Amino acid sequence: MGFWEQLASNLVFGILLGSVYGLATMGLSLIFGVLRIVNVGHGAFLMIGAYAAFWLFTLFGLSPIASIFMALAVGLALGFITFYSVIKRLIGAPELSTLLATFGIGLFIEELAKLVWGPDYRGYSWDTPYISLGISAISFSKIYALLASIVIAFLLFMWFKKTKLGMAVRAVVEDKEGAMVCGIDVTRIYALSFALGIALTVASGVLITLFVPVGINPYMGGEYTLKAFVIAVLGGLTSPWGAFYAGFIFGLLENGSYTLLGLIPDVEPFSLTRFIAFTTLLIILLIKPTGLLGGEEM
Amino acid sequence: MLKVTGLESGYGTMQVLWGVDVEVEKGTITTILGPNGAGKTTLLKSIMGIVSPWKGKVEFNGEDVTYLPPHRKVEKGMTLVLEGRHLFPYMSVEENLRLGAYTKRAEEKIEESLELVYQLFPVLEERAKQKVGTMSGGEQQMVAIARAIMASPEIVLMDEPSQGLAPKIVAEVFDTILKLKEEGLTILLVEQNVYASLEISDYGYVLHEGMVALKGTVDEIIESEEVRKAYVGV
Repeated sequence: MGFWEQLASNLVFGILLGSVYGLATMGLSLIFGVLRIVNVGHGAFLMIGAYAAFWLFTLFGLSPIASIFMALAVGLALGFITFYSVIKRLIGAPELSTLLATFGIGLFIEELAKLVWGPDYRGYSWDTPYISLGISAISFSKIYALLASIVIAFLLFMWFKKTKLGMAVRAVVEDKEGAMVCGIDVTRIYALSFALGIALTVASGVLITLFVPVGINPYMGGEYTLKAFVIAVLGGLTSPWGAFYAGFIFGLLENGSYTLLGLIPDVEPFSLTRFIAFTTLLIILLIKPTGLLGGEEM
Repeated sequence: MLKVTGLESGYGTMQVLWGVDVEVEKGTITTILGPNGAGKTTLLKSIMGIVSPWKGKVEFNGEDVTYLPPHRKVEKGMTLVLEGRHLFPYMSVEENLRLGAYTKRAEEKIEESLELVYQLFPVLEERAKQKVGTMSGGEQQMVAIARAIMASPEIVLMDEPSQGLAPKIVAEVFDTILKLKEEGLTILLVEQNVYASLEISDYGYVLHEGMVALKGTVDEIIESEEVRKAYVGV
């Protein structure tokens, strides 16, 4: 395969994977936007979603697309439990406390997963037809992942714009005290936003399994936490919509650069994932520290 | 209607209020005067529950509401127009107003309240779709007062509603407050604008270093030696 064909096929792959990155980062940005808490344990929740997809497929033959609904429900429950047991006490606390706490939650979940499921890589194979784009063949499963991500993002967008609760979340983001004097229960909005953010993250974990050739294990999340931070900065940190678009941009950058790095002799491009992520972050922070797509509006 | 007894409050370890007693009668306008740093804003925020009271009691319609969170107080019929307005800048006028009627109590009367608000401030109906962040200070103050009315309250606390506005707009704001009284609302006002606020008020308090230095009817306040010296400058 020639250079251009390979670049084109990697970019298509980048768009497909980018949609899942975007969905994952929406969860992170939603939580940061509303609660001003950086969820360092992000990747652990994503890993839970990946295992949910694996077990539901292996035990019940449930397709990953159907598993998304289960993942959203599990994520909401997990989010509410985490909020009321830990996060609620940290509202308004110094950043170090919230970073340590969410880091601790992440470790706890990962170690628990290792205890229950073991440290080994696991995988499953969902056979879907391939579609030939002339240059390369793309599995339908990845196209489903793209569609699922877009549908979820769109539904969330409509929920924020049209429903009373969604408006209340935006109100809390735009002015907390203003929301209080309107009679909005700010703590409840925090709980709901945190749970929604975790639900999105867990759902993205389901879809990630359609892209990882090596399979899943309890420590898979770290890489995605890192990427989500880069994408969140790219998208302006507080906006879930910015995060979703930025997911596509990052997917394109990452997969495009694999092709370019592959031109260098003796370099294994896929081992440079973290290098690419950090370099991207560094460049964004140099050019525009407020994020490329950044705005205050949610 | 509202009775505050021995209220103590502050931020962190810094005490601001040292036992404040304030009583507001139904259907009246009561003004709290006092120099900067006297604790006027803290008093309103503590009554509303945005700042947690340390000690003392807040009673509303005979019920102890001291430690209720703000959203429960709004549900009971109290609301606060915050200093600096605290609107939702990226939302339209109408969205701001509808959020003002967030509680069950207010939602039942939302269309009535909207009608009242648009009657008081016709300009807001014309600008219903405009984003609040793009409006002038005076218009934003109207939205802030209108949003409070949307909560269908019995008592409205107002923190410096005339702050930073042009003199002509200030007069309009005070006119509006009088109209709200005519509509049957009870008002507890904090103001720097001593003349204008006393003119529309029934009762007054002077707060000094977190304590009530003086209280009485408006006439008593105006005639008192301290106020003349401190504020009226005669």
